[in-house]
Amino acid sequence: MEFDKNSTLKLAKLARLSLNDEQLNSLEKDLTSIVSFIDQLKEINTDKIDPTSNSLNQDLILREDIAENSLSNEDLLKNVPESELGFFVVPKVLE
Amino acid sequence: MLDNLTIEKTSKLLSEKQVSALEITNNYLKKIKDSNKLNCFITVSDEKAIDAAKQTDKRISNNEKIGLLDGVPLAYKDLFCTDGILTTASSKILSNFIPTYESTVTANCKNQGAVVLGKLNCDEFAMGSTNKTSFYGPVINPWKSIGNDEDLVPGGSSGGSAAAVAADLCVASLGTDTGGSIRQPASFTGLVGLKPTYGRVSRWGTVAFASSLDQAGPISKTVEDAAILLETISGHDNKDSTSSLKENELFYSNLNSSVKNLKIGVPKEYMSDDLPEEIQKFWNEGKKILTENGAELVEISLPSTNTALPAYYIIAPAEASSNLSRYDGVKYGLRVKEKSLIEMYESTRSEGFGDEVKRRIMIGTYVLSSGYYDAYYIKAQKIRSIIKNDFDNVFKNVDAIFTPATPNTAFPINREEIDPVQNYLNDIFTVPANLAGLPAISIPFGLDNSGLPIGMQLITNSFEEQMLLNISKNLQDTINFSNQPIQWWA
Amino acid sequence: MNNNWQTVIGIEIHAQVNSNSKLFSSSSTEFGSAPNTQVSLVDAAMPGMLPVINKFCIEQAVKSGLGLNAKINKISIFDRKNYFYQDLPQGYQISQFKDPIVGEGSIEIDIEGTKKVIGIERLHLEQDAGKSLHDQDPKLTFVDLNRSGIALMEIVSKPDMSSPEEAVAYIRKVRTILRYLDTCDGNMEQGSLRADINISVRKEGDELGTRCEIKNLNSFKHINAAINFEVDRQIKIIEGGEKIKQETRLYDVVADKTRSMRSKEDAHDYRYFPDPDLLPLKLDQDWIDKLKKDLPELPDEKKARFIELYKISEYDAEVLTSDRLTSRYFEDVATNRNAKLAVSWVASELFAILNKLNLSIEKSPVNSKQLGELIDEIESGVISNRAAKEVFEEMCESDKSVKDIINDKGLVQISDTSEIEKFIDQVLIDNPDNVQKYKEGKTKLLGFFIGEVMKATKGKANPGLLNQIVKKKLDN
Repeated sequence: MEFDKNSTLKLAKLARLSLNDEQLNSLEKDLTSIVSFIDQLKEINTDKIDPTSNSLNQDLILREDIAENSLSNEDLLKNVPESELGFFVVPKVLE
Repeated sequence: MLDNLTIEKTSKLLSEKQVSALEITNNYLKKIKDSNKLNCFITVSDEKAIDAAKQTDKRISNNEKIGLLDGVPLAYKDLFCTDGILTTASSKILSNFIPTYESTVTANCKNQGAVVLGKLNCDEFAMGSTNKTSFYGPVINPWKSIGNDEDLVPGGSSGGSAAAVAADLCVASLGTDTGGSIRQPASFTGLVGLKPTYGRVSRWGTVAFASSLDQAGPISKTVEDAAILLETISGHDNKDSTSSLKENELFYSNLNSSVKNLKIGVPKEYMSDDLPEEIQKFWNEGKKILTENGAELVEISLPSTNTALPAYYIIAPAEASSNLSRYDGVKYGLRVKEKSLIEMYESTRSEGFGDEVKRRIMIGTYVLSSGYYDAYYIKAQKIRSIIKNDFDNVFKNVDAIFTPATPNTAFPINREEIDPVQNYLNDIFTVPANLAGLPAISIPFGLDNSGLPIGMQLITNSFEEQMLLNISKNLQDTINFSNQPIQWWA
Repeated sequence: MNNNWQTVIGIEIHAQVNSNSKLFSSSSTEFGSAPNTQVSLVDAAMPGMLPVINKFCIEQAVKSGLGLNAKINKISIFDRKNYFYQDLPQGYQISQFKDPIVGEGSIEIDIEGTKKVIGIERLHLEQDAGKSLHDQDPKLTFVDLNRSGIALMEIVSKPDMSSPEEAVAYIRKVRTILRYLDTCDGNMEQGSLRADINISVRKEGDELGTRCEIKNLNSFKHINAAINFEVDRQIKIIEGGEKIKQETRLYDVVADKTRSMRSKEDAHDYRYFPDPDLLPLKLDQDWIDKLKKDLPELPDEKKARFIELYKISEYDAEVLTSDRLTSRYFEDVATNRNAKLAVSWVASELFAILNKLNLSIEKSPVNSKQLGELIDEIESGVISNRAAKEVFEEMCESDKSVKDIINDKGLVQISDTSEIEKFIDQVLIDNPDNVQKYKEGKTKLLGFFIGEVMKATKGKANPGLLNQIVKKKLDN
């Protein structure tokens, strides 16, 4: 797959990245090269193979339903860039 | 007496009251101060370190029994969240983030009385094998080629963790390994680097790169120290759903160095004409030592070896692209002010992430996107099954696998880079163990003709770290690698 | 206008799981706390935080699946649904995509006696998002993460409904089942149960039309209105020679209209993939069997039993089983009493007062024991049904016992034959003309005499006895 400006911009939009022209250019080139590298796998026949998404062979660990509020509002917002009255705030979102 | 300390040695000095923990800590803090050229540390937590050292001294003067890590100065890759200490993942996007919590791994060390000197530089979000992708600039390898002043990479992503131990700026360190990020820098700096079995060490509180591959582990001067640290940081954690329920083991006390009657596999797929002669030479020497010490060498086949790297460069970016979505300027970290939410996201993330991170987010987004998911992501997960199956088959017949750790030794920081794939090839020998979740270690073997360290890798079956450490100790004791970089930075 | 047009409706219900703590963190799920005080490090997606699943939420989902007669999947997978939004701290929602915990099932709805089976496609577990407030500041949106991470069950129906009535009946039925199971409180005002409605129209016999999805409806009234509006809108467009655009729409309550939110072209590419922080969820058949065995009686079974046991009408049984607490109240009242009386008192008198006071049955001013005592007094003839209504009114306002109210008001019924005869004799003496007319054949006047006696006794005469004796005297 050859990445062009359009396909690169589309991905950037999905990933919430804004790119200038220079970055776009170099990314198109890099992505094309990476994809041609991973495209090697296309030759491997994997028809009868199940995918493994985690190598740990264990049952999912379950938690008991016990409620505790361990984090104060103050600690929650300790690193917040911007907040008001205990809320996180973002530029106005129109629905 | 205060230099080139191992955990074992430090602990002995302290329990015999030959020196105080404070003296040891102050000596390391001074050395760190003099090592700015290496750029190993992002944060030096001197006050907290001195406090902890004093606590150890108090325990010693009260004649309390102290553990092996009590009073031992360590440093952590800046990927482990540390309560009240800046934690950046070497990224601008977290350049102001001070956690209110402590990762399970570092909390375990803290509970043993370890002294934390500070947080170590690494590749941004652990993405890289050169330590050049850090927002805080590259780490410089304390090793240099003979007669050449050129700065070399320490490897990565745990480059600071390796360089700091190699330059003796701390007794040992912790790193993380997603595709070789502990073993490759350990190999580039003449150290022991261990990646535990996936699930052996809790990931809670460690900034995630690729969740199904990440494991924390030690970088140390000796196999014994690796055993002590592994024993400390491992064990089940009910805050991590991928944490193994296996009982913790006493790796250090159970350490022995016998390889008698062990079968060691040598995979033919790792042999290549491209492998530098000197690496080949040490690999052969290792095989010879193992045979001489009583092990049986077996040629084995891991047929899917060459599919591991492309599969890794699908799986790791896919998981990373999703893991890094939380860095959006809303809750913590960098925010670039904009008028709309989407512009705020885009500007924050574009300014906050470096080029390599952006590349991987883009690739990860691509392989998960509609129309490509099956062809790439699912395909790679199937390849992972094949690779794991390869190893399962081999471990029916052998106890361990012996390979080089890296296809090259440390290279110049200014090496011209044609494209990113070139750097991805640094992980060629290390990645399969991550995909299969197996424990693997890199141990120093010797120096190449330019005087740069070469490491070899051992891989064992899941949760067979004890055997991994035992074979490593046998090799370590036989080889007796004791070279150190010549100090040029202070 | 709707001649020959068929409406096809499929529904996704988002039901908040009844649990103490969130799906993947220990934060409390309590409603109405101060903003951002029920948010853990995990809910806020702090670096290095990991999800650990709540066992009880799994149990609740399985119980709900069993209640919907659905297949329980012994292996299910949690996936990440990736998108950016201010109230989604992780940048992804943990949900289930390819392998949900519950597979196909079905429930029966009843519309004025006509039964219809509605298919269930699946039920899966997922995290709720936080809450955004847009009206606090002219330039800012405020975000409260208290709700972030609370467990939701998404219940997806097959496109088996064809009218707003069926859609509402389906949601009501699912809500009733979940409330019976105690797996969701069904509180729509608080948003514990919300529905997304997929609607398309087609001419009879045609293939399925292009559908639009109306998001986030949380009242039956709005669901009904939104479907009606949307069906008309779609038919108008097609009859006007244009095509329906597949899109997501919002129902505007004030304007009583649906409007476009985003088109298919802007639809997200959610990049679902299995969450690598979680392993596959495996359920044990014995455990599922045990949950199944311990399931409470569900509305359909209960309704059938009520009809059989209490000999009440299908309509009454439907009303009385529409809510678990109502059915329990009714059973408490009806046990060992006249079931017909119990039905009429619960379904008419009690419901009327609850409606008037806008109270749910658990807050009823008269509890089932008290209502039972009142009915006992009627059954034993101590008071008349009419007097009982007066007693009931008083019971709603005071804590006095039934007996005290009856005594204080002097409502004890006259059931002594000779006493009643005295009153009747007096009325007959006072109205000779009407006695004459009655005897000449105007038997309708019976009511007149009974009324007069009732007036004289201030309503306390036992109506049965009165009727009997008056008739006997006049016919002699």
